[in-house]
This record gives sequence, structure tokens and C-alpha cells, in this order.
Amino acid sequence: MPDIEPFSPRGMFHEGWTAEVNDYAIACGWALKGKQFIVGDVAGGLFAFEGDTGKIIWEKEKTHSGGLLAMAIHPEGEIFATSGQDGKVQICNCHEGKVIKTLDLGKGWVEHLKWSNDGLFLAIASSKKVYVFNEIGKKKWISEDHPSTVSAISWSNKNELATACYGRVTFFDIVNNKTNQKLEWQGSLVSMELSPDGDIVACGSQDNSVHFWRRSTGMDAEMTGYPGKPSHLSFDDSGKLLATSGSERITVWSFIGNGPEGTMPGELCHHTEPISSLAFSNKGMLVASGSRDGSVVASFLKKDGNGDPVGAAFAGDLVGAITWRPDDCALAAVNAKGLVNVWNFKVSTNLVSKGFK
Amino acid sequence: MSIKDKIPVTILTGFLGSGKTTLLNRILSEEHGKRIAVIENEYGEVGIDQGLVINADEEVFEMSNGCICCTVRGDLIRVLGNLMKRRDKFDYVLVETTGLADPGPVAQTFFMDEEISSEFTLDGIVTLVDAAHIDQQLGRSDESSEQVAFADVLVLNKTDLVSDDALDTLESRLRDMNRMTRIIRAENAQVPIETVLNLSAFDLDQILKRRPTFLEPEYPFEWTGVYDLAAGKYELNLQEGPDPEMSLVAFTNQGSTEEELKDGAESSVRLYAEKAKSLEPGNSIPFGEHINLQLEDKGNKSFILNIEKSTKIGLFTQHTAEEFNMKVIKSDENKEIPFNTERFWQAEHEHDDEVGSIAIERFGDVDPEKLNTWMGRLLSEKGVDIFRTKGFISYSGNPRRIVFQGVHMLFTAQPDKEWGNEPRRNQLVFIGRNLNEKEMQEGFDKCLI
Repeated sequence: MPDIEPFSPRGMFHEGWTAEVNDYAIACGWALKGKQFIVGDVAGGLFAFEGDTGKIIWEKEKTHSGGLLAMAIHPEGEIFATSGQDGKVQICNCHEGKVIKTLDLGKGWVEHLKWSNDGLFLAIASSKKVYVFNEIGKKKWISEDHPSTVSAISWSNKNELATACYGRVTFFDIVNNKTNQKLEWQGSLVSMELSPDGDIVACGSQDNSVHFWRRSTGMDAEMTGYPGKPSHLSFDDSGKLLATSGSERITVWSFIGNGPEGTMPGELCHHTEPISSLAFSNKGMLVASGSRDGSVVASFLKKDGNGDPVGAAFAGDLVGAITWRPDDCALAAVNAKGLVNVWNFKVSTNLVSKGFK
Repeated sequence: MSIKDKIPVTILTGFLGSGKTTLLNRILSEEHGKRIAVIENEYGEVGIDQGLVINADEEVFEMSNGCICCTVRGDLIRVLGNLMKRRDKFDYVLVETTGLADPGPVAQTFFMDEEISSEFTLDGIVTLVDAAHIDQQLGRSDESSEQVAFADVLVLNKTDLVSDDALDTLESRLRDMNRMTRIIRAENAQVPIETVLNLSAFDLDQILKRRPTFLEPEYPFEWTGVYDLAAGKYELNLQEGPDPEMSLVAFTNQGSTEEELKDGAESSVRLYAEKAKSLEPGNSIPFGEHINLQLEDKGNKSFILNIEKSTKIGLFTQHTAEEFNMKVIKSDENKEIPFNTERFWQAEHEHDDEVGSIAIERFGDVDPEKLNTWMGRLLSEKGVDIFRTKGFISYSGNPRRIVFQGVHMLFTAQPDKEWGNEPRRNQLVFIGRNLNEKEMQEGFDKCLI
């Protein structure tokens, strides 16, 4: 916990701004170092707002025929990529939303997009294949067909890409076109998150469990007993806490010490309906969760994974996506009705809780 | 979200060449006021502008526990997961499967995945059958019998290529395999849209309304006639019929109410289980015995009924009276005595196919705990072989009837309308492979209070 000290629970959501997009908002992200906020709706509408005020900067309609499926903003925040049911990927400029490059990958839906941490590569998953392009849209690598449609992708380091599909997670060295590792397990993996150092691989499975592997030791474990499939996973920046959810409850596994095997996870029960989005802050142990009931809660976690809510708000309808501003001083949620909510989030960085004397 | 708000889904199955694409095109091109999203399995050429057509490769995902009942269709979860964000664009979903698809995982997807089941409801499974080829297909592959077994509606297509007799035989074979299904004959997949969409087919009430006798047990006889006879000598005359012999049980003092008829039927079932005594024309028919009338001779055959004192005679016959033009004649007056009551029974016949239906109907209440234990055990042991389950249950102490339905070992039970003045009873249907009817009935009987 580098910058944040614990404090008593109180409302940390301060009024920010709201705006509207034209359809069910499914993706959002901060660009230009937090100066801009981009929202994508299911019909393919894209909207850029001023980060501080919510004033519209530009908007575009029907960018992908059949609808938008994914959006990813480049780590530098100057460009972003979108993909859709039309089998296409567009790389656009954040300032005006202008298309820099269109990639046509064929007939299948393009469901996942991930920029590598250094921003040199864009990984794209479409049906059973995964592609890697560079920032200017030049093709660098293509995978063979996976056994099933790829359900998640993630960069484990600058040249290594992890893919999840039915029955396996695979690590590819995309520069040397090599398969580095295959982790097999019979089950339909619906989500995947890697710890920031790339060592822990966590996957939510259709059979209501979370399976994870430690690549360095080869140890793996299965956490069962979820009431629903854990579609939502998020690691904190230290890689010590993994928040998971497949229901209205958030289960947090702590990797501190010998955990999480044989330990009790932390449980956060703040929502009345299943979680629809989950995101740790960029720094520190704050986790924000959005639910189908429209509630948004931020919780401050302890090392064991338990924690207290530090703020809550109502976003109006099912929360389609939730994201922290790069400086963690604002939290944004977009919903199924196309409403955009941005709350300023006041985090005290030097206040030390003294307790009652 | 209540069931009313959920989007109904119809699953369309059938072997290659059975006419799925033709039916799909008809549904999409017809004016029915519905906006239908179609999930197609192959990169087919539906070529229809109306409706939202999405292609998906079938991806059958088994779970790590190896249980086939937990197997789902990953492609449907993804596609429907996206469609639920576009609810304003459509109000109905049609899922077309490949010819070789097992309908189980498709149906299970709507029970197993919470996200999907919270937004969508399985309205019905429609299976197209090529009347000219299904006989061979049923012999060759498990998939085709499973598609028949899962069907809420069977469209017997291409009937123009097959004789009426062959269609009747085929229909009764299909009916044996799946007693719940509604069979519709069609040429070129021409069926009224309302027979395949918005069926609420998982609703047993609908089926009972269409065919009130389908839950009845099967009997070794098809017909009962009750005759008021004064003392005297009578002849039972039969003409040529479909068989050279016919089994019969005759009772004296047979009442005509439904309850008395059922009592008579139960006694007859016991007698029918005994070896029949062969009886040539001209002989007297004994009462309370299983006899077998010999009817090989041409023309009229007469058997004697001796009535000592005035009574009601019940004749439980293997075939209907009509089939042999059977008549009771008072000998000295040569006058026909008509029956005062007749009752048809669901006839028992040979079950050749491994796939079949079992129906259980019992009056009274069940003990919820006992039922749960029994169902739980039955489904965990036989879940793989039980394709579909539907039924109503009367829980003791609960004013509402419990309606339940299932696919393999998944089942849901929820309170339905109040019983009111209706007699409390339980009705269950199981469709599956190699099911043991007697064992299941006995198991259920133990749950009754």
C-alpha cells in the first residue's frame, strides 16, 4: 500500500459529471492521461468527453456494422482500438476519433483487444485465432486455430501473450513465434487475469469455479463453490489480491504468505444483484464494483481480502463497465441505458487514521 | 425479472435434409409481427433481410466433472450474452442446430448458465423429420432419436413422398418414443407459424389440453362396453376383423361410472396377465377369466353368454367392438342389445425403440422431502438417460400446484396456480432411453402420503 492509508468508511464519491450515449454502453476508458474519457456503445457509437467536465469532444455512429464488441485504449493514451461483429478492428486517434487504420480479419466476431504494457503491440482475438499487430496496424503474428473460440487474452510480459479457451491457457512468444507454455484443464474458461508480474494465471470457469496456476512453481489450484460463473476477475497492482465474482458477492483471494490455498477468502456483500463489472484501482487496494442493480461500490481491502465500503453510488441501471482514472482520483461507470457517470474520488494520501483516544 | 419479461427461444433441430432451412425461411419471411434474431449453426445462406442472423460454430463444452448434464453450448452463451444487450432490436430468438447436434447441451444452456437463464426462456424444441428417411436414421444414429425425444413439436415433413399407411406407422413409432410431443404433418415445411413459435411448450397444461389422455397408463385392451342384460341366453357375434383371435374378459355386475370402469380395468389387467383360455365359436364365455376368442373362420362367429339373473355385463376387449362389428344379441328375440356405456383405453403396444416415454398419474399429495430424495436419486442415477421431464405435483399443505420441468438431471420446480376445487393429483412424464416404468412408478408411489 504505497500511497493510501486506511480510514473509517465514509462516502468517497463526490459529484463529478454525467453524460449520455445513444445505446447500451459496453466499453469505456481514459485517454490522454485522464484528460479524455471515451465510451463505446453496443451499436457501435463512440463518444469522447472531456475528462474533467464531461463536455462532448467528438462522437461517431455505427463504427462497426452489427455492433461494437471491444475497445482498448493505448497505454500512452493517444490512440485506441475498437472491434466488432463485422470482423474488423479500427485503430483511431483519440483527439478527433479519426480512423488511422482498419484491419479486416474476416467473418468472425472480434471480441477481445489488448495493448501490450509498452504499447508496441495490439493483440486481437477473433473466433479461434489470435493476431498481433503493431501500433500502426502492421501484422506481426498470427496463432494457429485454438481448440475453441478464444475467450480471453492478456499480456504476461512485453513479448508474451496468454490466451484462454476451452480446456487450456497458452503462452506464446509472439516475437519468436514459439509456444512457451500450455496449461491444460478440462473446463470452459470464461475469463482470465494475470498478476502484474505475469506469474499467476487466474481463470473463471463455466462450472462456477476459479482455477489458477503459478507459472514459476507449476502449482495449480481450483477454488469451487461460486454461485455463478466467475466472469469478473481483477488483480490489485501488487498482485497480492485477486477479486473474483460470479454473483452479487465478491470473493477476494489473498496471495500473501501461503495463500490462497487453505485460507478463507475475503467476502464483500454490498450488492443485491450479480456483479457486472469489477476493477481494482491503478494503485493500492481499492476495488470498485458495479452490479446489474445499478449500484457502484468502492471498497478498501485489507491484506486478508476482507474490507469495508468507502463509498457507494447509484448508476441508474446495469453497470456495463467501470474504470478508474489513471490517477485514481475519479471513477467512471457506464450503464445499460447509455448513461455515463463520473465521480470524483477523494483519496487522502497523507491522512493517518489515529482512531479514538 | 419475471418470466413474462424473458425473451422466448425456440430451438430448431432435425437431420440434414429434413427441411430446417426451408422452415426458417418461411418463419422469417412471414408477417407475424415478431422481430426474430436467428442464431444459425453453419455459414448458411438464409438471405433474409428481416431479422438478425448471427452465425455461430457449435461449441459443446463439457465440464471438468465430466457430467454430460452440465454440458453447455459455449457459442450460444457468447452470442446470447451479446444479444441480451440489444433487447430493443428483437423479441424472439430462434436457434438452429446442425443435423447431428445433440439437443441436450442446447437446452441445458438455458438452465445451467445463470446469465442466460435470467434473460431468456426456452419456449420449445421443434424437430423436423424427413418422413421418407427417418426410419433409417432412427436405426442408425443416437442423435436422431434424441432429437425426436427432446421435441415439443415434431414436424413430419415431406409427407408427399410417403404413403398414408407408412405415415400412420411412422407417427405411431414417433409417438411411442415421445408421448409429449405434438406431431404435425407437412409438405415442404408448410406449417402454421403458431405451431412452432410461442408454444410455451414447457407448459404441461398445453399438452394436456391438446391430448387429455396422454398421461393415462396403457392397458392390454382397447375397449370396454357395459350392457344391461335381463336373465336369458345371449349371443356375442363377431365378424371378420384385423386379427384371427381376440382376448376378452367379461364381468358381471360391472358399473358404468368412471370409477367403476377403472376398477374393472384394474381387475382385467390382472386377469390379462394370466394365460388366456382359448375359446372356439359356439361355446359359452366364462366370467372373470382371460379368454381368447378364436376368430379364424370366415363370416359370423357366435359365442354364448348365459345370464342367470338380470345384471350389467362388462366386456373388456383387446380391440374395439367396431373393428369386429361386435354385437350382443338376445337369442330368443334375435334382437340387438346396445351397450349402455363404452370406454376406450390407451392401448398397450410393442416398444421397439430404446427411447420411450413413461407417464405417472396419481391422485393425492406427495411428501416434498420424499419426492426430492427420490427425484434427486433418480436423476443422479439415470439423468444421462432421462432426456426430458415435465409434470405437476401436489405438495401436501401447499395450496398451489407445483409445476416442474427438466432436461437431463437439471430440473426446476415452481409454484403454479392454486388447486381450488380441482382434485389434487400428480402427473409426471419422463422421456428417455431404456427407462424402467415399473421401478419408477413404484418409486413415485412411495412418495405419496
